[in-house]
Amino acid sequence: MEQESPGASTNDESEWVPERCLSVTVRGPWGHFRRVEGNVVKQTYRIIPRTTVAGLLAAVLGVERDGYYDLFGPSASRIAIEPVSPLRTLNMPMNTLSTAGGDLQSINAHGKITIRLPDPTNLRQQHNYEVLVGPEYRIDIALSDEKTYRKLRETLAAGKSHYVPSLGLSEHLAELEFHGEFEVRDGPTDDPVAVDSAVPNRIESVVLESGTRCQVEESPAFMANDSGGRTTTEFTSYVYNPDAKELDVRDIDAKTVDERTVVFV
Amino acid sequence: MLSPEEFRERYPEEKLAEELPDSPIGSLRDIQYLYGKLYTLATTGGGEYAPYLTPDAAGDLEDSGDSLIVVRADLSGDEPRLADRIDPVWVTSYSEDQVQDVAHCKYPAARGIDHSVTHQSGQNSDPEKLARYAKERLTKWATDDVVQEVAENHDEGWIIKELVELGEDEGALDEIEGTLTTALGGESTTALLTVQVQLDEDEGYRWPGDLDVFMEAMRQRKLSKLVTKNKADDSSGNATDLVTGEPTRTVGTSEDPQNYFLGKQLEKFPGLDIEEAWRTHPISEDAAVTVMNADTFVEACTYRTFGAKVYCLPYFFGRPSIDDAYTLYSTLHAAANADESRTTPIENVYQRRTDWSIDTNRLRFYVSAVMPHQMSRYDVFGETLNGRIQYPAELARSHVDVLRTAAFRDDDRWTAAFPTNEGWTLLDGEGLLGPIASGWYFAETLPTGEDEASADDIRIEALVDVLSGTPIPVSMLLDGYVERIIEEDTDEQFPRFRVASQYAQLCALAGAEEEFLTADDQQRSIAEQPTYRIRTMESRENLAITDGGFEGDQNLEEFIENTPALGHDQRCGVFLLGALVGAVGSYQEWPLERSTTLVDQFPVKSITTNRIKKVAQDAIEKTLTYTREEKKREGKQYPGTKFDYIVDRLRKTILNPDPDEWDLDKSDLRFYYALGVTYGMNDRPLSDDDEAAAEIEEEATS
Repeated sequence: MEQESPGASTNDESEWVPERCLSVTVRGPWGHFRRVEGNVVKQTYRIIPRTTVAGLLAAVLGVERDGYYDLFGPSASRIAIEPVSPLRTLNMPMNTLSTAGGDLQSINAHGKITIRLPDPTNLRQQHNYEVLVGPEYRIDIALSDEKTYRKLRETLAAGKSHYVPSLGLSEHLAELEFHGEFEVRDGPTDDPVAVDSAVPNRIESVVLESGTRCQVEESPAFMANDSGGRTTTEFTSYVYNPDAKELDVRDIDAKTVDERTVVFV
Repeated sequence: MLSPEEFRERYPEEKLAEELPDSPIGSLRDIQYLYGKLYTLATTGGGEYAPYLTPDAAGDLEDSGDSLIVVRADLSGDEPRLADRIDPVWVTSYSEDQVQDVAHCKYPAARGIDHSVTHQSGQNSDPEKLARYAKERLTKWATDDVVQEVAENHDEGWIIKELVELGEDEGALDEIEGTLTTALGGESTTALLTVQVQLDEDEGYRWPGDLDVFMEAMRQRKLSKLVTKNKADDSSGNATDLVTGEPTRTVGTSEDPQNYFLGKQLEKFPGLDIEEAWRTHPISEDAAVTVMNADTFVEACTYRTFGAKVYCLPYFFGRPSIDDAYTLYSTLHAAANADESRTTPIENVYQRRTDWSIDTNRLRFYVSAVMPHQMSRYDVFGETLNGRIQYPAELARSHVDVLRTAAFRDDDRWTAAFPTNEGWTLLDGEGLLGPIASGWYFAETLPTGEDEASADDIRIEALVDVLSGTPIPVSMLLDGYVERIIEEDTDEQFPRFRVASQYAQLCALAGAEEEFLTADDQQRSIAEQPTYRIRTMESRENLAITDGGFEGDQNLEEFIENTPALGHDQRCGVFLLGALVGAVGSYQEWPLERSTTLVDQFPVKSITTNRIKKVAQDAIEKTLTYTREEKKREGKQYPGTKFDYIVDRLRKTILNPDPDEWDLDKSDLRFYYALGVTYGMNDRPLSDDDEAAAEIEEEATS
């Protein structure tokens, strides 16, 4: 997989560079963004995945499940994610019911709609969830669809949300703080550039300094519908500083938003 | 497995470049994929079928007696038949150079046959069972649905069809059983069972590895499990491969060497079922098989700590370069071929970092502590993709420095603040990298917990934090320290070496160049580096005797001044209280030989802000009593009272503010009390007699 910035594609549409964006801080007491490598183990991404940001904003707008992937697709949107408080996790053991086939009961088995549920009288199993403690991200969003963009701006500005926004799991409620609309300007031309946001798809451009903590993770970035459901169409590797400080990056197409240096994907 | 030198020869730079993944390492799967690639190259080589073979599965059988059983089928005539010019069943010894011939592909399920026509028997199978396995090469493997499908579509499919035909001949099956039983002479053995076929009268018998149809059938059997395991019908679909990022056919029920992902977990998402497992975990067939091949290297990089299994997988930040790959291969080869040594991968790499010219800034470790419950239910208690050598190495260095300071090294006339002891890892200071990397460093200071670690085990949290350079909250450490002290603070003996070990650790964490500690306002000063003098090892004779002042007084003054944490009045107060209790207790124990001392009377768990005043009163009263008694008994004349250098300071700090108004956290209070007790117990002038006595005592405790 070649690591390219989204604008590097030859497709004209995906080279779209927005002139302005909305900026919002998303925070909550807890967050859990399940990593795709595990379903037996429940580890979390540290940087809110781009697909989760899309889902969160779709919840604000009131778009149905599976109804927003094009809206946040590679040629129609730009999102930058900046962790603004140190990324810390802790283990939270939770008691859950088994969902193995044999432990599920069918309700209304002979009717048109059948629901299969775990038997609530069964003994619980304890599983460990890795959760983020007080996650907080500044998110910059640009959408090419003018109408939706305006609606998003109005909804955020009014402090409203259609569905309840959450950080990964529905029980981890999120609070949104809207900062306003900002111009997207070309970023600094220093080399290296000190980038505030997580750095997408540029692992090797990051300058490793022994004193700076610098971590990497790969999470889903874009999704698409198909007849049976949804699939991930692209992953993004984020390099980030877990102390919520900047990282030095060479040869990068950074942008300036509200005096901050960010990289969109 | 190729040695690192052979590996370089077999795969020169350009050739290796073609094999390496093109994308940077960004996830556990990327690491496993790289490991799997290197493993395949080093064992079965390149080529279409190499990733499907499992050359290590039968590694134990090499050159061990009757370890290879070959059924020979002559397919050169009109009718398939067993070999008649040579033995129809050949029992021999399996050797390394036959790995490619037998092309074994193990299927690890307890039931079922291996993917390849070659099958591995269980340990020490009896002749009847081996005969059954031998016959099953024809009657079960050849008739398998997947194998049959390959036979239908492959140019050499007739070979498999004729094997099936041969397997229907009862006479032939009886002959296999008879010949094999005779050849084994009634002995049980562990063996690989396979077939050889003769296709033409003029040529010899061919191994499965020489015939594409056998290899293709093996591959298809293995691939079928990637989409049908756990009763899925076909968990596959088109998506983006999470390893290569390419859109492709992805599969949902492949194995993961670490068992983090199982296709059958429904979880609580509606509509998420095994048939759709490829959507949540999209991995291409090639990547899935390669990831499965990482198993040997992944397992080689594990060790056990507190009942948990720790994975410690080295990799280089970014895209693996050719040099990185050679270095990584050397590392993994060393790990896979190590005898039962207890060194961790981090230590191994650290020791060879110069030989291998490792860029320690780019070298990272994926670290996770996993608690396996049952076969496939795993809990991960701590995990990072960002473990680095420099963190534990820096901490080890810092710890050694701490033990060289006045806090732990005696001067010519007076003891250090705290004792050292060769029998205690953290008070000895030699070779600490191993203990730090393995977790022993924290097992020595934090609560021992249950038999097994739990999800909130702070030993594991501290271990993973240190390896990844994540600051540990001071409050968490103090809670743990105090819990451990209370565990051990029995009537028998105050755990002074334990407390000294904990303090050495705390100072090492605070003194390291990396930021290993984090704290709130009240405890911030604990995370600051103390400024104790470094004491060099000079012999007593060479030291000038300083004059003026009472040395115990000077030492205490100096210790408090150089300990930032004691800049806090309440903490300093409780430390002094502990020091007085320790000093009086020590005096009671020797020379007074009391069986119960103040230290026993006021154990750490009894210390609360409410009791501070009471404990202080009792301790001060004792100093007065003992002064009176000593003066009376021995006719000694000296100004003041015993331990007045502690008492005077204690009086000043303990009154302002009044202990009833103290707001010091309970663990903070108790830890610094325990530290004071340790100080007080260790605080004495050194004479030759003392040294001898101290040595005897230390021998007894270590």
